[in-house]
Amino acid sequence: MTDLMIQLRRSPRTLLERDGHPGPGAGRLALVMGRAGIGKTAFIVGIGIDALLSGQKILHVSLERSVDKIRTWYDDLLMELLRREKKLEHWAAIQLEIERNRHIQTYLGGTFSIDRLKTGLKLMRDYMEFVPQVLILDRLEFEKLSLEDLEKLKAIGAEIGAEIWMSCRTHRDAPQPEAGHLPQPANRVEKGIDLAFDLVPQDGKVRLHVLKDDQKWVNEELNILLNPKTLLLRTGVKR
Amino acid sequence: MCAWSAKSRKEEPEQIRKTHRERQDMDIQSVRNIGISAHIDSGKTTLTERILFYTQKIHAIHDVRGKDGVGATMDHMELERERGITITSASTYVEWKGHHVNIIDTPGHVDFTIEVERALRVLDGAVLVLCAVAGVQSQSITVDRQMKRYKVPRIAFVNKCDRSGANPARVSQSLRDKLGLNSVLLQLPIGLEADFEGVIDLIRMKAVYFRGDAGEEIVYEEIPAEMLGEAEAARAEMIDTVSLFSDELLEAALEDRATPELINDAVRRGVLSLELTPVLIGSAYKNKGVQPLMDAVNEFLPCPTDVPIEAVDLDNENAPITLESDPEKQTVAYVFKLDEGRYGQLTFLRVYQGTLSKGDNMIQTRTGKKIKIGRLVRIHADKMEDIVNAEAGDIVGLFGIDCHTGDTFVSPGPRLAMTSMYVPEPVISLSVNPVDSKAQANMGKALNRFTKEDPTFRVAQDPESGETIISGMGELHLDVYVERMKREYNAEVETGAPQVAYREAISQRADFDYIHKKQTGGSGQYAKVVGYVEPLDEGEYEFVNNIHGGSIPTDFIPACDKGFRSTMAKGGLIGFPVVGIRVVLEDGNSHAVDSSDMAFQIASRAALKSVYQKARPRILEPIMKVSVEGPGEFQGVIYKSLMQRRGMIAGSTEDAGFTRVDAEVPLAEMFGYSTDLRSATQGKAEFTMEFSRYAPVPREVSEELMKKYSDRKKGEN
Repeated sequence: MTDLMIQLRRSPRTLLERDGHPGPGAGRLALVMGRAGIGKTAFIVGIGIDALLSGQKILHVSLERSVDKIRTWYDDLLMELLRREKKLEHWAAIQLEIERNRHIQTYLGGTFSIDRLKTGLKLMRDYMEFVPQVLILDRLEFEKLSLEDLEKLKAIGAEIGAEIWMSCRTHRDAPQPEAGHLPQPANRVEKGIDLAFDLVPQDGKVRLHVLKDDQKWVNEELNILLNPKTLLLRTGVKR
Repeated sequence: MCAWSAKSRKEEPEQIRKTHRERQDMDIQSVRNIGISAHIDSGKTTLTERILFYTQKIHAIHDVRGKDGVGATMDHMELERERGITITSASTYVEWKGHHVNIIDTPGHVDFTIEVERALRVLDGAVLVLCAVAGVQSQSITVDRQMKRYKVPRIAFVNKCDRSGANPARVSQSLRDKLGLNSVLLQLPIGLEADFEGVIDLIRMKAVYFRGDAGEEIVYEEIPAEMLGEAEAARAEMIDTVSLFSDELLEAALEDRATPELINDAVRRGVLSLELTPVLIGSAYKNKGVQPLMDAVNEFLPCPTDVPIEAVDLDNENAPITLESDPEKQTVAYVFKLDEGRYGQLTFLRVYQGTLSKGDNMIQTRTGKKIKIGRLVRIHADKMEDIVNAEAGDIVGLFGIDCHTGDTFVSPGPRLAMTSMYVPEPVISLSVNPVDSKAQANMGKALNRFTKEDPTFRVAQDPESGETIISGMGELHLDVYVERMKREYNAEVETGAPQVAYREAISQRADFDYIHKKQTGGSGQYAKVVGYVEPLDEGEYEFVNNIHGGSIPTDFIPACDKGFRSTMAKGGLIGFPVVGIRVVLEDGNSHAVDSSDMAFQIASRAALKSVYQKARPRILEPIMKVSVEGPGEFQGVIYKSLMQRRGMIAGSTEDAGFTRVDAEVPLAEMFGYSTDLRSATQGKAEFTMEFSRYAPVPREVSEELMKKYSDRKKGEN
C-alpha cells in the first residue's frame, strides 16, 4: 500500500519540489491566491492529500463548509488520482489511512479565532493524541487577518512543528499590484508570508505562478497547470 | 389503544359513487402529501396537533406528554405516549383553505430510519421542523440527507420561538451552513422568547397576530413602526434571493412593484426545483405561526402531478415507466405501512395512478395474487372514515389484505411495481425467550407482524441453541419491539445481551484439492473437487464453474455450489456468516457408481473448510457513523469518549457555543454510550448514529472474539 501511496504522490508537492519550491517548512506560511472559483480549494486539498499520502497528519480548517463537504473534496481528489493510475480497487484502504491522519475542523457563524484554533489543537493533542504536521486554513476571511495574526499562526506552527497553507481570494477589479509586491488583499500582510502562489487563468486552463519563496520575490511562471475538470495538477509547458 | 371507529358504514348507501375529492369539488392540484420531519423534541407532534385543531379535525388540544393523560392525537401508540416519542408514521388528512392535505407524521429517532424513508417515499413535499434554540441538530442533518436522497422539496418551520435563547435568524443561517440549503426567511418575529407576539409576513408586509384562546383568530395589522426598517431590509434580501427563480419578479422588483403573487410564484418555483428552502417561524405550543405555515404548504409544496413518479414493468425487464396522476388509467398503488388495528391489519397505501374503488379486483405484483378491495378508509390519527374510492395522489387505508410493506397493487394490465426502497442490513441482534407457552404463541404472532411491518427487523432461529434471534438497526430499535411484544401481544420475553452482527471474510486466494471417499463395502461415496477461493469485492458469494471436459459431470455441479454455499452461514473463526467470497471450481473427479449429489456436497463443504485458514480470514464488524453534539466546553470530553471506544474522529464543527463531533465508531463499542455521554456532559450532549460500513476488527479484538467463541464451544461440549 505504501508503494502505491508514494506513486500517487504526484500532485502537487512533487511537482513543486521538481520546480524548486518544495514548501514553506515548519513554522512558516504558504499562501495560494486566485480569483473566486479558480481552484484554490482544489489546490490546497491537493497539498493535504499529498501530505497524507506521505504519512503526515493534517488539520484542515474551514469557515464555510460542513465536515462532510470537505471530506468529499478529499475523497473526490483521491478517487481521481487512483483512477488515473487505474488502481481504484485500493480506494477503501487508502481512504481509511487518510481518514486516520486527517482532522477537519469547521467554524460556523463567525466563531473562528486564532486563540480558538490554538485551544482546538491543544484538545486534539490531549484527548486524541493528534498533532498535525500540516495546517491547512481554507476560506478564511483573509481581509480580516493582521500581520500579528499571521505571526501568531506561525508561532503555533513552530510550536507543534507544522507548516501552514492558506488560501486567499483576489478580486478581478483590484488594482494591479506594485512590482515586487503581492496582490490585494495579501499585500497588507506580505511580510508574514514565506511562500506565495498565484493561480492564473490561461487559455481555458489554470497556470501556477510562484510570486515569492523563502521571503524573496520570484514572480515566475511554473511548468504546472491545474486541470479545471479533474482539479489535478500536471506538467504544462510554459508559453 | 387505537379506537378504530366504524361509524360511517351505515352511511354508505347514501354516498354517491364519487371520490372524496369530487364530492369536495377538489382537483389534484389541490392535493398535498406532506411529511413533518424533525429532530426529537423539536415539537413536531405539538405542531401536528395544532394543525389538526385549526383544521377542525380535533376539538381540543393535548400536549405530547399530556397532563390530561390523553396525549397528542398523532402519537397513537401507547408506548410512544409514554416515551414522548413518535415511532410509527401515522397518517392523517386535513383540509385547509380548499386544499386536501395528507400528513405523514415521521419519527424523530434515527434507529427508526426505515420509517422515515418509507414516509419520504410517498411524500411529495415536507416540512422540516427546527427548534429556535437548538437549531439544526444532528437528527435534522440525517433527515435532510434522506430528503435529498428522495428529492423531497421542503419548507422549514422554526418552532419554539417563545423559548429562552430563541434565534430564528441564526437557525436560518445554519440551514445554509450545516445543510447547504438555500434558506430564505419569509417572516420576522415580533418579539422573541417570552415576548414573542406574532410574525411579520415579508411577502404581504403585514404584522400577523394570533388571538383567541387557542390562537385561532388571525389578525393582520400594520407593521409596528419600530420594526418597519428591519422588515423592509429583510424583504429586500428575501426578494433578492427568490427573484433568481423568476425573471418576472426580477423585473418587477427593479421597478419596485413586486406583488405577493409574483413572490409566491417565484418561491414555489424555487422549492419545486429543490433549490430554495423558505423558512417560516412560530411557536406551536403558544399557538402562533401555524396557520401561515399551512398557507405555505398549500402555496409552495408540490401537488402529485408536480413530481414525476416512476414504476417498473416486471414483464418487460423492469423497464421504467412514468406514471400519470390520471384517475382513468390503470390503477397503481403502493403499500408504505402496515398497522395492527382492532379490526385486523390496516394497510396504508398511496394511489399513484388510476382509481382504487371498493369491490375492485387488484393484483399484488410480488405474488401475482388477486385480491378484492374490501373496506377502504381515509385515516385520521386514531379515527377513520369509510370511503368508496380513492384517486391518484391519495393516501388511504385498506382492511383485510395480507401483504408486506413495499408491495404494489395494480388493476388488471401490465405488472407494474414501484421501485423498491433502500433497505439497510441489520447490525445488531438479541435472543428472545418467551417465559411460558402462552407467551411463546403470542411472540410468534407478534414477530410475524413486525417483520411484515418493518423490513429492517429480522427474525431467525439459532440452529444450535434453538433460541429466537431478532435483529435490527440499533439497541433502541430492538427495545421498542420487545416492549411492543409485551404490551400489544402480551408476550413476556427474556432477552439476552445484544450481539453485534459480525461477518467473516477471506483476504487472499487459497487453492483446494479435496477427495471425499467412503468405499468400505455397500454403496460408497466418492467425490473430488479442485479449485480455489478468493476475496470478492462486491456481493456475498459467487460460484464460478470452470470445469471443462466433464471431470465432474454437469449433474453434480449444483450440488457442489450448494455444498460451498452451505459453509457461508457459519465461518470458521467465530461462527458468523462469511461474506465476500468467490469459489472457483476448476477440476475434480467422480466415480460411476459411488458419486452422488450428497458426496459432492460433502466434498465441497469439507474442501472449503480445509482451505479457510489458508485464505487468511478476518472478522469484520459494523462501523457506525456517529455525531455527537453538545456545548463547546465539552469538546475535549466528547473527543475522549469517542477515542476510548475505538472511534476515528473525522472532524468537528463549532457554532455559537455548540460543538459537533463526527466520528466513526465500531458498534460493539457503542453499548451504553448514551448513559456514559450523559454523565460525562451533565446530560447536555446527545448523539445519533447510523450504519456506515463493515470493516476488519483490530488484531487484539479479533483474538478476544475468537477466544470467547472457542470457550463457548468448549462449554457446549
